[in-house]
Amino acid sequence: MSVLIDIVLAILAVYLALQSLMAPRLSQSVFLFFAFGLALALTWIRLGAVDVGIAEAAIAAGFLGVLLIDALRDFSPAVSEKQEGADGTSADRSTKDTKSRLLPSLALGLGLGLFLLIAVEAIWHTPKGGGLTALSEAMLAESGVEHPVTAVLLNYRGYDTWLEIGVILMGLLAIFVAGGVEVYRKPRVLVRDPLLRQVILFFTPVLFLFGAFLLYYGKSGPGGAFQAAVLWGATGILLHLGGWPVFAVIPRWLRQLLLTLGLGFFLLLGFAFMAGGAALFEYPPAQAGVLILIVEALAALSIATALAAIFAYFNQMKDEPNEIESTT
Amino acid sequence: MEPYQIYGLASAVLFVIGIAGLFAARHFLKKIIATNIMGGGVFLCFVSFAQRDALAFADPVPHAMVITGIVVAVSSAAFALALTRRINQLTGEESFPNDK
Amino acid sequence: MTDLPTSPLPALLVGLPILMATLSLFFRTRGKALVGLVGCLLTAGLSFIAFAEVTRRGTLIHILGGWDPPLGILLRMDPLAAVFIGMTAAVGAFISLYAWWYFRAQESTGGAFPLFWPLWLFLWAGLNGLFLSNDLFNLFVTIEVIGISAVALAVLSGKVAALFAGLRYLLAAIAGSMAYLFGVALLYGSTGTLDIGLLGQALEPGPATTFALLVITLGLMIKTASFPFHFWLPPAHSSALAPVSALLSALVVKGTFYILLRLWTEVFGVSLTFAAGQLIGLAGAAAVIWGSWQAFMQTNLKLVVAHSSVAQLGYLLMIFPLLVLAPGVTAGSADWLSSAWTAGVYQVMAHAFAKSSFFLSAGIIIMALGHDRIESLRDLATRMPMTVMAMGLAGVSLIGLPPSGGFMAKWMLLKGIFLSGQWWWAPAVLAGSMLAAGYVFRILRLAFAPAAEKQTWRPVPVALQLVALLLALASFLIVFPADYLVQFLESSKIFGSGVETIVEGGGDGNY
Repeated sequence: MSVLIDIVLAILAVYLALQSLMAPRLSQSVFLFFAFGLALALTWIRLGAVDVGIAEAAIAAGFLGVLLIDALRDFSPAVSEKQEGADGTSADRSTKDTKSRLLPSLALGLGLGLFLLIAVEAIWHTPKGGGLTALSEAMLAESGVEHPVTAVLLNYRGYDTWLEIGVILMGLLAIFVAGGVEVYRKPRVLVRDPLLRQVILFFTPVLFLFGAFLLYYGKSGPGGAFQAAVLWGATGILLHLGGWPVFAVIPRWLRQLLLTLGLGFFLLLGFAFMAGGAALFEYPPAQAGVLILIVEALAALSIATALAAIFAYFNQMKDEPNEIESTT
Repeated sequence: MEPYQIYGLASAVLFVIGIAGLFAARHFLKKIIATNIMGGGVFLCFVSFAQRDALAFADPVPHAMVITGIVVAVSSAAFALALTRRINQLTGEESFPNDK
Repeated sequence: MTDLPTSPLPALLVGLPILMATLSLFFRTRGKALVGLVGCLLTAGLSFIAFAEVTRRGTLIHILGGWDPPLGILLRMDPLAAVFIGMTAAVGAFISLYAWWYFRAQESTGGAFPLFWPLWLFLWAGLNGLFLSNDLFNLFVTIEVIGISAVALAVLSGKVAALFAGLRYLLAAIAGSMAYLFGVALLYGSTGTLDIGLLGQALEPGPATTFALLVITLGLMIKTASFPFHFWLPPAHSSALAPVSALLSALVVKGTFYILLRLWTEVFGVSLTFAAGQLIGLAGAAAVIWGSWQAFMQTNLKLVVAHSSVAQLGYLLMIFPLLVLAPGVTAGSADWLSSAWTAGVYQVMAHAFAKSSFFLSAGIIIMALGHDRIESLRDLATRMPMTVMAMGLAGVSLIGLPPSGGFMAKWMLLKGIFLSGQWWWAPAVLAGSMLAAGYVFRILRLAFAPAAEKQTWRPVPVALQLVALLLALASFLIVFPADYLVQFLESSKIFGSGVETIVEGGGDGNY
């Protein structure tokens, strides 16, 4: 019976993925992709990966979904296959097109089919390596936290997590470069309903506190910096939409400090212990719990700032077309 | 059939769907979605192995790697989206002009 | 692993550039550039210190977080990593100096692009992290750091052509790293470790290992712009700003080649087959011929140089078939493997110096003329003798004429080819050199031709021309310490143990 649930869930994920690529309208595509993310999140929970489920739902489906939906404003609703026929002079060109595309797509299909067979065969025959379950369990007492995933993320493999916080900051810089702007302008007030603004004001501390709870709870259960960051980021996004453009108001140095605090403090703490003879990101087991909590809190703050800044940036992209500001 | 085997198969299928989409789809947004479906397949493979190797709890190392991977993939996708929208603003194009 | 000396240097090599990048974000245009340049020079200095330390004490390690692998991540600076880090530092320092004057000269016209500096420092940290990493998943994170910062740098100018090229580059890079990660998932599933050293011991041949080899090799080939996945490189490299083109071609594509080399020799020894090596070699040979021919056909200088990168990267792939001998074949001399290795390392270095010099020269010409059409290069020799000299020297190294680093690389490659009995690769090497001579002399002939029409030549800072010339000279100077460098590389433990596994893998004939 439970196997049936797994089969249905797997087929659902595959079906949604296929449909989101084949949907004729772009908006359908985006919403099906959003649904695909939620199906994956359910899958993670079925597989006992609750942390991954929260991250998938919040970041991959939620945040990326919001960005994709926001991007829909830019594009014409029908996908390019039709638009191609419209601007590609005439219909006979498109029939010629399909003919010349037949052979490559046939080759692609055959190649991918073969690839799929090899992949399935390989996954089916993957020897049982045993993973690192036992080892991470054995070392948990020394890691300073009780939840194994948090121990991996912030202690055993803290270096990866540190680099990843760097990737988010870099992603923000890259997005500024792509748009050619690095100024936060006051957005137009999108939510004019005073009642709705009141609701946003009410939910801001609630979301913030819930994020703080997730952050603290990450020590012993599913939760932690990334999940808290998304909630805090959502707070920033809501305030932005409600007409409180946090980024345009605060001074520049504070903005940069918020963005870099997570990455910078993580590294400087590592350097401080390195000066004492330890390895980078090595914490004494007695203080590890507290230090990890501080690192996580600051990292969550920076990631939340970056996520909100990315959203605010995307949101103003449509409003200021063809404007290149000097990137200061 | 164990759950990890079912999801392992699904992961290979998702990866291949992603590659096919990356080649076949023309619209920028669809190409970005396709890369994320590829990523979903890879992450599913990691997590199904983690479930296979579970003792008292599932293997936490792949879980941590997948969380890292998701964040990295979303950062790349957001960057690709920004490029796409900028191209669209400047030229009105929604796909690569000489895409075969 | 634990018997090797521990040192804080590997951790600092990644931490310092990121610290400086973070710091530079607090400053505005001028300050950002200044902090960035200081950060670059500090990183380069630290790299040289670390290089010297490795020559003195041998391989250095740093156990991050104090957790031994397989639970934790190990940074390992062995001679091969030291050579790559040293090369990155030398090329990087020159390009940083060039960038400083390049952006200063264009500051008044809105061409200061201060975000170049933090992004370049992130890129540098990613490269150092990649060369040092001994963990498959950490390698994925470093290639993502490199990928995002490299694409962001490529689109820095904000021009439409650069944006299109950058998006294509980014999509190819994401697909490549996802394919790589798929292979990592299977390797982790079948062994329960991500550490390169432990994987090399634990890995058994089987369908999972073969599939992992396939997707990892394909993914990394996409990111190295290997034929037939080279489509994204020429537009991206030619449309970027001059210092960025130099960085992308000299350093970025070498990162993924380095992983490929590491994994083929240290992890996949058991499942390599003669056929797999031959296929990669074939892709390399095709890249050499196709890329050189395309370079010959271009009418814009930067496109010539970018297509030439496709060809020069092809030579790198041609060392892979030499690592695996045909079943039952024994090499004529035991030297064949060290020749192949030396050829690879020299090709990487010679190309890094020569190509960055060429791109920087192209940047100088664009600054002077406003465009880079080849017919307009007439009279260049009298206007800018230093730049012509830089292009001439770099060109000689690309062709592979003695006494350049490029000659050393091609000579060693031919030696490896004949010693391993795989003579059929030799014509491709020779044809590549011939075609390279074609496109280099086509440019130089015009540079020395008298002016046909009047053109306005805007002044270009001498410092820029000097940096380009010094880089071209460096592609010759690397030949002098050759004997020493080969010895240094052979002192690496991995270098020796790699040989055994490769010969076994090839000898089994399990294809």
